[in-house]
Amino acid sequence: MTGRNAPDAGRLRTAARELVDVALTIQEAAAHATAALTDVAPLRALPQAPSAAWPAYRALLRTTTNGQGLGCAFTGGGRLSTAAAKAGAMVGAESLAVRVLATSLRLRVAAVAVAHPELTADPMLARLIDAAAADRDLEAVRALRALLKDRGAVRALSQLAPVFGEVLALRALLDENPLNDAAAWLIATGKGFATADPITGMSNRAIAVLDTGEGAARRIELTAAESARLCTRGSLLGFLGNISALGTTGRALIQSVEGPDGVIRHVLQAPGMRVGRPDGESPQDLLGAFSSAVLASSPYSRALAEAVADYGPPPGAELALVGHSAGGAAIMNLAQDPGFCARHTVTHAVAIGSPVDFKRPAGTWVASVTNQHDIIPTLDGQGAGTCFDLHPDWYVVDYGDSTHLFPLCHSIDHYRANLADDLPEARDLIDERLTPYRGRVVRSQAYLLFDRAPEPEGSPFLTVPTRAFDGPEGTVDLPIRCRDRDALTAYFAVHPAATAGLLEGTGLGPAVQVAGRVLVAVHVARNRHTTVGGYGELQVGVVVPGPFRRHRRSPAWPDLLRAADLRRSGSFLVGSAVDTPIMRALGPRLWGGETYLTPLEIRLGARSAHVTADLILTLRGRLGPGLPLSDPGLVGYAREGGAVLRSCVRTRGRARLHAAPSLRLVVEPRSAHPLADRLRELGLDGARPLLCLSATTLQTLRDTAVPVPPG
Amino acid sequence: MSAEIAAIIAHAEVLRSDARALAACAERLRAIEAELKAGGGAPDWLHASVTAHLAACAAAAADLETAAQRLSRYADKASP
Repeated sequence: MTGRNAPDAGRLRTAARELVDVALTIQEAAAHATAALTDVAPLRALPQAPSAAWPAYRALLRTTTNGQGLGCAFTGGGRLSTAAAKAGAMVGAESLAVRVLATSLRLRVAAVAVAHPELTADPMLARLIDAAAADRDLEAVRALRALLKDRGAVRALSQLAPVFGEVLALRALLDENPLNDAAAWLIATGKGFATADPITGMSNRAIAVLDTGEGAARRIELTAAESARLCTRGSLLGFLGNISALGTTGRALIQSVEGPDGVIRHVLQAPGMRVGRPDGESPQDLLGAFSSAVLASSPYSRALAEAVADYGPPPGAELALVGHSAGGAAIMNLAQDPGFCARHTVTHAVAIGSPVDFKRPAGTWVASVTNQHDIIPTLDGQGAGTCFDLHPDWYVVDYGDSTHLFPLCHSIDHYRANLADDLPEARDLIDERLTPYRGRVVRSQAYLLFDRAPEPEGSPFLTVPTRAFDGPEGTVDLPIRCRDRDALTAYFAVHPAATAGLLEGTGLGPAVQVAGRVLVAVHVARNRHTTVGGYGELQVGVVVPGPFRRHRRSPAWPDLLRAADLRRSGSFLVGSAVDTPIMRALGPRLWGGETYLTPLEIRLGARSAHVTADLILTLRGRLGPGLPLSDPGLVGYAREGGAVLRSCVRTRGRARLHAAPSLRLVVEPRSAHPLADRLRELGLDGARPLLCLSATTLQTLRDTAVPVPPG
Repeated sequence: MSAEIAAIIAHAEVLRSDARALAACAERLRAIEAELKAGGGAPDWLHASVTAHLAACAAAAADLETAAQRLSRYADKASP
C-alpha cells in the first residue's frame, strides 16, 4: 500500500499549493489591467488630455500582452476581454498565470511520482507527461498513441490514473482550445468541479442535463442466492458485501440494524454505475454517474430519497449512507440535501471509489476511500495529485496497491478486499465510527431504481375494461391481453383452383389475387406473457377482401394496411393449431373454426425465422432486409355452423415488411395430420412466400369473435 | 473631480498595488524553490521554470508600474 504522506511528496504538494496562490495573484493583477484597459470611464476623459491618454493606453496594452511579462493576460468577465482571452488561447499565447499554474501541476505530478515511481521511470509515461507539460501537442498525441498501442487503452488509462487530472489539466491549460481553459483552471486551482471535459471543453453539465427524471423506486425481492449473501450484522465490510451482492443492476438496498444501544437505525447502500449504454430507465447508467457527480441533485439521488421514503424510517431516525462509485456521489447528494436531512438524521456517509471532492454535506461524518489507480474518483478533477486539503474534517483514504488495472481496481470487490486485507487501520476506524450501526440486521429491503416512475405494465394499450368468460377450463378475463409477442405472417401465392369452394357461401368475396394467383397467409406467433399464460399459435388462411365491399373492383391491398379494427380484409381461416391445452379448448369457443394441439417451435430473429409445427410443417430461412412499419394487427374470419365470425387482434408495436424473403415452407413428409393435408392441398409444400411481415415484442388485445351479419 | 478622473486614479492605484504584489510573487517563487532545494526534493526542471517565472514577474511588475504612472499622469492632465 502506498499513501500520500511521504515527506518529499508533502513538500512538493506544499510548493504546488503555494504556486497556485502565486498564479491567482498574477491572475488578479491581469484582471485589474484588463479592467483598466476596457473601462469606458477613462476613455471619456480622452478629449481632455489625448497626449497623456495614448501613452497610458499603450502601457496598459503592453502590460496585458507582453510575452516577457504577464503574457496574454486578458481576463475578467467582460465580453471584450473574454473574446481577447480566447483569441489569445487560440494562437497559443499563454498568460504568466497559466505558466505558473502549469508548474504547479508539474509539481503535483512529481509529488505523485514519489509514491508511484513508475510514472517517471516508465519511458512511455514520462514521454507523455513531459510532452503535455511542455505544450508539445503533436508530441503528446504521438506519445499517447504509442502508449495506447503498447499497453492498450485499459492499461494506459490505469497507469495514468494517479495523474490523470493533472495531465488533462496541463494539456488543457497549454493547448490552443479556449473552451477547456475554465475546466483546467478549476482542476489546477481546486476551486470547484471540473465543469467541462478538459479535452474538448464540452460542458459536463450539458451532458448531465441529458439525465432527466424525478427519480423513482419500487420494492423488489432479491433472489434466494442474493438474500443469502446479505450481511446479518452491520459492518463496513458487510455493507460493501451487500453492494457487491446487489451488483450494478439498477438496485439499492436499505437495512435496519439494532445498534449496541438497542436503537434501530437504518443504512442505505447504493451500488455504482451499470456498465453499458445509457438508457432512459435506470439512473445507474453512465449519464446517472455524470449527473450524480456534477449536480447537487440527480435522478439517482432522488430515486434513493424515494426508496428511503417508501422504506419508512420514523421521522428523525438515524441513517447511514454507504455508496460505491456513482452511488457514492448520489449518497453525498442526499447528505447535502437540506430537505432530506430535515426528514432524516444523516449521521454517516461513506463513499467508496467516488468523485465526491466537491460535495458539501453538513453535519455528517464523511469517509472517502479511493484507489489512486482508479480513474472514476478523479472525474471531478482532483485525484492522487491534488495539493488541496479540500475536506480537513473528512476521513480520506487515498491509497495505491499493486493492481493498476482499471476497471478491476474500481470494482466494489477489489475495494472490499483492500479494506479487508490491506487497509486494516482505515477499516477499523470507519467501523469504529459506524459502531451505532454495528448490530443485528432486523430488516432488509431492496429497491429497483428508475429515472422516472415506471408506467404500469402494459399501460396504456393493455389497460382496458375486462369481463369474465366461462371457458371450458375455468374463468378467463377477456379480452386476452398479451404484453410480449413475436409474430410472423408469410404470404404465399397459390393456384386459384386450390382454394376453390373454400369461400363458398361466406360472403367474403373472391380471394385476393396477385398476378392471377390467390394469396394465402401462414401466420405463426409466440405469445410469451398473456392473461391466459404463454402459448404459440399457427393459422393458415386465405386472404379475402371481406364482406360488404361497395366497390368490388377496387384493390384490397390498401385495406390490408389499415388498423385491424377498421379493416374489412383479413384471412379466412382454413386451419389452426396451438400448443397449450387451454388454448386448444378456448380457441374454438372464442374465435370459431377447428384448432389442433401440437408442439410449436417459433424462433424469430431480425433477419431469419425458424418455425416448426410438429407433424405439420417447417418454415425457415432468411427474411432479408425489412422495411419498418407500425404493426397493422390481424383480422380473421372463420366459419362456425352456418355463420361467419370475424375476430380481430389489435396490436401495438413495430413490424418489418420483408419484400424478398428466402424462406421455404416444407410440409412434414408422410404426415397424416389434417392440417398437413390441407397445406398440401393448397400447394404450399416446398413453397416460398412472396413477402413476410415480422414483429417482435408486440402487445396485443384479442376479444371474442363476432358474427358477420348476413349480406 | 469628475467620475472619469476618479476612475483613472483608482485604476492607477490598483495597478501600483499589483506591481508590488508581483514583486512579492517573485520573492515567494524564490523561497519556494529554495525550500524544495533545501529538502532535496526539487525536480531537475524546476530551476529553469522558476527562473523564467521570476523574470516574467519582474517584467510584469515593471509593466504594471509604468501603466500606473502613465494613468496617474493622464489623470493629472485631464483634471480641469
